Amino acid sequence: MAGGVLVLAEARRGELREVSLELLALGRELADSAGLELRAALVDSEPERFVGQLAATGLTEVLLVRAPTAHFEAHVWEQALAAMIEQERPSLVLLGQTIDSLGFAAAVAARLGLGFASDVTGARFIDGALYVTRGAYGEKLIAELAFPDRECTLLTVRAGIFAAAPVDGSRPPVREVSLELADASATEHLGFVEVAESDVDITKAEFLLSIGRGVEDAENIPRFERLAERLGATLSVSRPLVDAGWMPAARQVGQSGKTVRPRVYLAMGISGAVQHLAGMRQADLIIAVNSDPEAPIFSVAHYGAVADMFEVADALEALLD
Amino acid sequence: MLLLWSVKTRPVFWGLTPALKALWYVLAVISVLVFLYGAIRPFAAYRRGRGGSWPPAREWPGRLARAAVLLLSHVTIRRRDGVAGIGHLLIFYGWIVLFAGTVILGIDTDFTRPVFGFDYFNGNFYLGYKEALNLLGTALIAGLLVMMARRALLRPAKLDYRRPDRAPGEPGYDRRRYRIGDWFFVLSLLVIALTGFVLEGVRIAMSHPGYGATQFGGWLVAQALSGVGRPSLAALRHALWWFHGLLAISFVASIPYTKATHMLQSFLSLALRNPTAGRALAPVPAERAQQPAGYGALADFSPLHLLQLDACTKCGKCHEVCPANATGRPLSPRDVILELREHQNRAAGVEGFAAPVLGDDGVRLETIWACMQCNACVEACPVGIEQAPIINQLRRRAVEEGELDQNLQQTLETIHRTGNSFGERPRRRGRWTTELEFEVKDARKQPVELLWFVGDYASFDPRSQRVTQALARLLHHAGVDFGILYEAERNSGNDVRRVGEEGLFELLAEHNIQTLSGCQFERILTTDPHSLNTIRNEYPQFGAAPVPVVHHTTLLAELIDSGRLDVRGRLSYRVTYHDPCHLGRLNGEYETPRRIIEALGCELREMPRNRDNSFCCGAGGGRIWIPDPPGTERPSENRIREALALGELDYFVVACPKDVTMYEDAIKTTGSSERIALRELTELVEEALVGAPEALRA
Amino acid sequence: MKILVCVKQVASLDEEFELGGDGLSVDPEFVEWELNEWDSFALEAALRLREQIGASGDEVVVATVGAEVAEDGLLGCLARGADRAVRVWDESLASADVLVVARVLAAVARREQPDLVLCGVQSSDAVNGATGTALAGLLALRRVAVVKRIEPEPEGRALVVERELEGGLLERLRVKLPALLTVQTGIFEPRYATLRAIKQAREKPLERLGPGELGLSPEELSGHAGARLVALRPPERGEGAQLLDGSADRIAARILELVRERVG
Repeated sequence: MAGGVLVLAEARRGELREVSLELLALGRELADSAGLELRAALVDSEPERFVGQLAATGLTEVLLVRAPTAHFEAHVWEQALAAMIEQERPSLVLLGQTIDSLGFAAAVAARLGLGFASDVTGARFIDGALYVTRGAYGEKLIAELAFPDRECTLLTVRAGIFAAAPVDGSRPPVREVSLELADASATEHLGFVEVAESDVDITKAEFLLSIGRGVEDAENIPRFERLAERLGATLSVSRPLVDAGWMPAARQVGQSGKTVRPRVYLAMGISGAVQHLAGMRQADLIIAVNSDPEAPIFSVAHYGAVADMFEVADALEALLD
Repeated sequence: MLLLWSVKTRPVFWGLTPALKALWYVLAVISVLVFLYGAIRPFAAYRRGRGGSWPPAREWPGRLARAAVLLLSHVTIRRRDGVAGIGHLLIFYGWIVLFAGTVILGIDTDFTRPVFGFDYFNGNFYLGYKEALNLLGTALIAGLLVMMARRALLRPAKLDYRRPDRAPGEPGYDRRRYRIGDWFFVLSLLVIALTGFVLEGVRIAMSHPGYGATQFGGWLVAQALSGVGRPSLAALRHALWWFHGLLAISFVASIPYTKATHMLQSFLSLALRNPTAGRALAPVPAERAQQPAGYGALADFSPLHLLQLDACTKCGKCHEVCPANATGRPLSPRDVILELREHQNRAAGVEGFAAPVLGDDGVRLETIWACMQCNACVEACPVGIEQAPIINQLRRRAVEEGELDQNLQQTLETIHRTGNSFGERPRRRGRWTTELEFEVKDARKQPVELLWFVGDYASFDPRSQRVTQALARLLHHAGVDFGILYEAERNSGNDVRRVGEEGLFELLAEHNIQTLSGCQFERILTTDPHSLNTIRNEYPQFGAAPVPVVHHTTLLAELIDSGRLDVRGRLSYRVTYHDPCHLGRLNGEYETPRRIIEALGCELREMPRNRDNSFCCGAGGGRIWIPDPPGTERPSENRIREALALGELDYFVVACPKDVTMYEDAIKTTGSSERIALRELTELVEEALVGAPEALRA
Repeated sequence: MKILVCVKQVASLDEEFELGGDGLSVDPEFVEWELNEWDSFALEAALRLREQIGASGDEVVVATVGAEVAEDGLLGCLARGADRAVRVWDESLASADVLVVARVLAAVARREQPDLVLCGVQSSDAVNGATGTALAGLLALRRVAVVKRIEPEPEGRALVVERELEGGLLERLRVKLPALLTVQTGIFEPRYATLRAIKQAREKPLERLGPGELGLSPEELSGHAGARLVALRPPERGEGAQLLDGSADRIAARILELVRERVG
């Protein structure tokens, strides 16, 4: 059955990742608008355990690939995906833009000569042709892309943009796809390194005071720790402060940090790189303070102040006295 | 008696057999040879320094003469330490005269008398000689006692040899060896002087010459010995003569090997020092352009700097004035020099001179990066050592090897990329002018009388922009013809150079020089003393045409004097004024800003550390781009506290954009906002002209 | 060991900018260029690995697909310690997308035959995160993406790396050479290149090639493009953030109000 939308779901350490459901919803929309079938696929050592979680209306079929190991191996996913594409010949393949997919998605697209776009924020069919939107020039512009002459296009979709598909009780047919792995020993898993246990779990906090590069020096951090305490907030940070070694990774909000959903997210001195926004854009109330009026954080914030974070911190401290 | 009265002389080698006399001469010659060897050998080592050269020979006579004047007047030693000044003056003249006295006697005994038959060591000459020696001998003893009391009783902080660049317990931390060496030195001199008097006293007790008044010291001793029998006196005289003599010639022989060596190197350092050190740093010599810049090993040093390592007398004046040391940072200029000196002492031959001096066992990175390049150390040093320029050279090497703080690294990359330290687009440099009610001329396109080189902070920092705008309004009001370079202006490079990035400094300087050469103007005006310093003193090194460069305080003073700014007597605030390092200490401009304050009618209260002794705000040397170590006091906070100690004050007045930033912050962090506020001098002038600043903007 | 580092000179825009004639790019006057931050880290990783392994015949080569503006970035890499640089460009590459760039880099890699290829995870302007992986796919190289740590094994035939997962979790992997890694920020502190080093770097070899010299024809290349740009437009502001203005005191007061409403 050529033409069809194939959604590649993701699981890690026994848990289905939320982006999979977002992809299903997008896939559903696109499949309906173009009159295509929608299929989901998953690669895992025990893929059948996720079928129930993937059940959503309109799903034609679930394809399962049995991976040789419990943990992610890029070459396995690459070969599995390539095999499924060659076998099933979908016209559109959707993956999440995730740390795992960064290891294989583009490789499949390059090798098979597919249409390709990453970090996609919007997609639609117009007169049977696929158009997607993504950021350009560091998110300062929106680019619209087309895929002329491509039988199959692979998109990696930004997580947290689309609403998740509702899971119903439907039981789509399941088919196991056999995989013959070449190069069985591309990489060898040696274990996981857990993030250093910290007394704080920022994902549980209701109110986060988050600071970024604007804080400038490590020595300025303690005063924001105190401010957070006085506000009744937990302190979290963006990536640059962890890279510099000033704060532990446990406090990092972002794509490769923690994803948080507090009631209030007060961001000070954070510019709002895409990877950071991915980790906090779902907060109930986002207030951003940044001296740069063009900072991307203002695009997701509910309230914004173009001001110096230290002056605002001073003023907050004065009010709390 | 009459016979004795007429014989005004004394035996020289009393009681010595010819054999002993010969022995004495042999020992004396040995001592001189040992002295000469010790005095000359270091110079062979200094010549291993390839990083520069001595001043040209034709300058030497003038330099030596000027240094001699400084030495004889003791100006640099007396400065800011009266007790040490007096003590050293007494010791110095005492020693010189006593030493000269021995030489005069030696010439008479061994030269004029045997060769020419002429003997001057008698009569009134002899009496005068005796008087002088007694007086100065007493002076010597007094001076030594003063120094000993200072060390043991007064215990000034500058003589605490504990070093901030080592932790307690680390090797070399407390420098016990130095203290013992110092005491040994002082005590040996004291013993020599005292035994001299006792020897004289014994002679007087034995021979009773009648002119006691001229040798009062000895005379006093003689009274104490009045009951002693002649044989005992004779034995004492023999013993003492040899003791005093041997001790004296040993002392002379040891001069180059002990603290006393400073007599040689310190004087030469004073004579050969670079008068523009600090304000004009040395460019990389052309022959070394392909090698890593700066000082990595002793062989990279200039010979003068190697000499200066030996010139240090451990007086501690630099240690005391250094703002880094005063705020608990791991830097004391004294200890950098002493550490390097120890390297030089240990360095045996070429390998020693090629070994790196930077490192955990040597001069540490945290030490050289704590420096603010304020040059208080160079200013304070009585023997002309160039501590800050040496640190700058060490930084040049550290930068080559990538050993610099990440924040600093990013700032340098930002300056390279955008031409300013704020990372702003060059086209935004002139943004501050858009709020003015008039156009500011573009000096690139039109001839102007005054080309205003604004500077990074004055152009981009919001608080300093207010000052810049105020100055522009004042100039406009006074009808001054001025223009700016807009986006063609780049960071002047002064602080980039002080950080040690010579290559980037050259790039910036060359760019600015080229821009300036395409403009027509009479004078250059700068807001920032840092720009002033480098444009005036360092740009000529790169081919800039010599042109007058003035600071905005000079210009404001001109306008006030000529009446173009009618501001006399309008304000009556109580203020204190902080001398910026680059305007004051480095370029000698102290009085003009004070005249302005006076002209405005304000009451100026001086902080204890003012003018050339001003205390750096902590921004210099690139430190404004480096985070401060947590938990330490900032130099700017220290300075604000100094100001607050003066009593009720309205304003802390500054004349530099970086001071504006540093002190506004310090006033906040010391919680002093209720007690004092900051004003830049321009803002006071503006207020005097039109009342409160807002009025001008209406 | 020969290490190939693929770098990109990225565009950063002025606050105010205008689009160029065709509406598909920004007017160069408003564009500033700098070396991609991730690639600085990749280069630093390469330099450190070379220092650690320290065998003779080690070479670090940097390659880029870019116009002349990219030479500044290459010079910086040479100044920091890379041995050689290669820049591939001609007009036909002006609209190259990530797959075309990967194909060109693959041709460079085949020519260089490195033991290890390092790329940054993503570029700060396009944020594809795909070039390195696509390149690995084309070269059929073992690869690990988003690497935070690299330790060479003593014999230098394999590397132990740590891959960054969400939530600060890291996965340790062993990968045999030849391989490709995409490097994450924070892996090492990139070293400083003095101006003097940059000047001296001009003496180092910098090859300028057209795709033809690598055996690639323009038609072939454009045929492999993953996507075609059809429009470029400013983002919809949407409701955007509601602005809190005034003095810092007013802003702070408003913030406290909003916070108290929400969390009490």
